[in-house]
Amino acid sequence: MITAEGLSKRYGPKTAVDAVSFTVKPGTVTGFLGPNGAGKSTTMRMIVGLDRPSAGRVTVNGHEYRRLHAPLTEVGVLLDAKAVHTGRSARNHLRALAATHGLPSKRVDEVIEIAGIASVSRKRAGGFSLGMGQRLGIAAALLGDPHTLILDEPVNGLDPEGVMWVRNFVRQAASEGRTVLLSSHLMSEMAQTADHIIVLGRGKVLADAPLSQLVQEWTTAQVRVRSPRAAELGDLLVAAGAVVAPSAHDVIDVTGPEAWWIGDLAAERGIALHELTPTSGSLEDAYLALTGEAVEYRSHTLPDTGAPIPEAVA
Amino acid sequence: MSAVASAVAPAVAGRFRLSVPRSLRSEWIKLTTLRSTWWSIAITAALTIGIAALIAFALTTAGAGPRGLNGIMAVVSPIQFTALLAGILGAIAVTGEYSTGMIRSTLAADPCRGRVLVAKAVVLAVFLFLASLVMFLVAALIVSAILGSHGQALEWGSPDKVILPLLSASATMSVCALIGVSFGFLLRSGAGAIAATVGLLFVLPIMSTFFAFAGESWKWVLDAANYLPLSAAQNAILPSDTAPLSAGVAFLTLGAWVAAGLLGSWAVLRSRDA
Repeated sequence: MITAEGLSKRYGPKTAVDAVSFTVKPGTVTGFLGPNGAGKSTTMRMIVGLDRPSAGRVTVNGHEYRRLHAPLTEVGVLLDAKAVHTGRSARNHLRALAATHGLPSKRVDEVIEIAGIASVSRKRAGGFSLGMGQRLGIAAALLGDPHTLILDEPVNGLDPEGVMWVRNFVRQAASEGRTVLLSSHLMSEMAQTADHIIVLGRGKVLADAPLSQLVQEWTTAQVRVRSPRAAELGDLLVAAGAVVAPSAHDVIDVTGPEAWWIGDLAAERGIALHELTPTSGSLEDAYLALTGEAVEYRSHTLPDTGAPIPEAVA
Repeated sequence: MSAVASAVAPAVAGRFRLSVPRSLRSEWIKLTTLRSTWWSIAITAALTIGIAALIAFALTTAGAGPRGLNGIMAVVSPIQFTALLAGILGAIAVTGEYSTGMIRSTLAADPCRGRVLVAKAVVLAVFLFLASLVMFLVAALIVSAILGSHGQALEWGSPDKVILPLLSASATMSVCALIGVSFGFLLRSGAGAIAATVGLLFVLPIMSTFFAFAGESWKWVLDAANYLPLSAAQNAILPSDTAPLSAGVAFLTLGAWVAAGLLGSWAVLRSRDA
C-alpha cells in the first residue's frame, strides 16, 4: 500500500508535482500514465526517498521510506536502468546491494536466474543493452522479495519476449497480493497489464480509476455498421437522433443507439447488414482526451499550406 | 519462471535489515569490484616503491654519510605524488556513483544517508591505510637492503625511526582519500572533485611558495600554508624540532581537514535530492 497525501515537488519556480494524492492498493497493478514531464518519475523518486517533497508526504505501508529498517524487503524499485555503475559486473552490483541487508549470495543467484541474465551476470554492466539493463534493474528490485514493486518504464527497451515477461511477472506479483506501481508510455502495454490507472498531467492527478471505468468515461462507444444500403440506413438513424459518420461507401460509424437497436431497425426496414460491431474506445483515446490540455511538450502539427505537393515531372 | 517466489520466507525476513557492519561490507564490495581501484593501487605501489628505491640509490652514490637525508625519508617521500592518487581514488569512488546513477541504487537500498557516508568513508580510509602500509613496508625493505650494503640500513629497532613514520604516512594516504571523498560529495562531478582535490593537495602548496619572496606583510600566507594537508602531513610523518608544526598539531590539523570535509559532505548529502 502506497499512500500519497498532498505530495508536491517544486524546483525553483517550476512545480513538477502539485499536491498529488492517491493510494496504490495491494493485489492490483496500478499504472502511472502521463505525458513527459507530468511528474511520474519525480513522484516515484519521492516515494523511495531520493527526492524530498516540498510539501505533503508519501508512505509505504504506513511508513516513510527513509524510516524503513529493511527497505529492500519491503519495496523493490526500478527507477531507471542506468542506476548501475558501468564498471561493475551485474553480479557484483547485486552483491553490493544485497550486502546492505545481509541477504545471502544465494538470493543474488536466484534473482539473476529469475531475471534471465545468468549468461551475462559476470560481464560489466556498462556493456549491457538497454534490455539487459532493464532486466538487471528488475533483478535488483526483487532482491529482498519485497511486497511492493515500483517500476518506472519497466518495458522500455525490452524485446517482445521481455515485454511479455514483464507483463506476466507483474500480473503474477499482483495475484500474490503484492502492490505494484508501474509507469509506461506504451498505452497498449498499460491496457494489457494494469487494473487501475492514475493519469498525471502537469503534476496533477487527472484521473484515478479502474481501467475499464476510465475507458468508458473518457471515450465514446460506437457501432460500426456495414451494409449495401448504408446511406439509407444512416438517414433513418439520423432521423432517430443518432450521430452518423460515414467511413466508407458501405460503412457508417453510429454514435448513440446500441447495436441491438440498430439491428432491429434494419430488420424492420428489410435492410441487409454485413457487419454490426460495437466498438469501445481504447485507453489511448481516453488518455488523449484526458491529457489534451496537459501535454507540456506538444508536437505541433505542420501548417497545411493548402496547395498539394506538385507531382514530379517525368 | 518462478517469478517472485523466493528463498526469503516472511518468517525470517526480520533477519535481513540494515546495519552499519552490513553497509561497510556493501561499500567494501563496491570498492574492490572496480578495476579502477586496482589500477590506482597498482600505480601507487609502483610509484612508492620505484621513487623510494631511486632516492635510496641516490643516497648511496652521494658519497659521504647521511646529511639530513636518510633512509626513512626515501621511503615516505613518494607520498608527495601518491597522496594525489589517494585523493583521486576517494573522489571517483563518490563521483563514479553520481555519473553512472549508481547513487540512486545505493540510497534506495539504504535511505539512511549518514550511514552511507560513514560506511564509504571508513571503507576508503581503511582500504587506503592497509594498502599504503603494505607498499611502504615493501619500499622500506627495499630501501633498507639498498642502504644496508653501505651501512645505513633502517633502524627497525626503534619504532619512532621506522614504524611510526610508516604508520603516519599510511594514515596520511587515508586522509587524502577522505578529502577526495568530501569533494566528491560536495561537487558530485568527477572533473570538479579531482580538480579541487589536486588543487588543495598539490597546487596550493606550490602557490604559497611564491609568497616566500614577498614582504613581511605576506608572511601570514606562508604560516597558513603550513596547515595545508600535505604540509601538515610532513610534520606528522617525520616530526622535528625545526618543523613549523609540532607532531600533535600536525595530526590535529589532518583530523580537522577530515572532519570539516565529512561534515560538509553530510550537510550536502542529507539535504540534496539524489
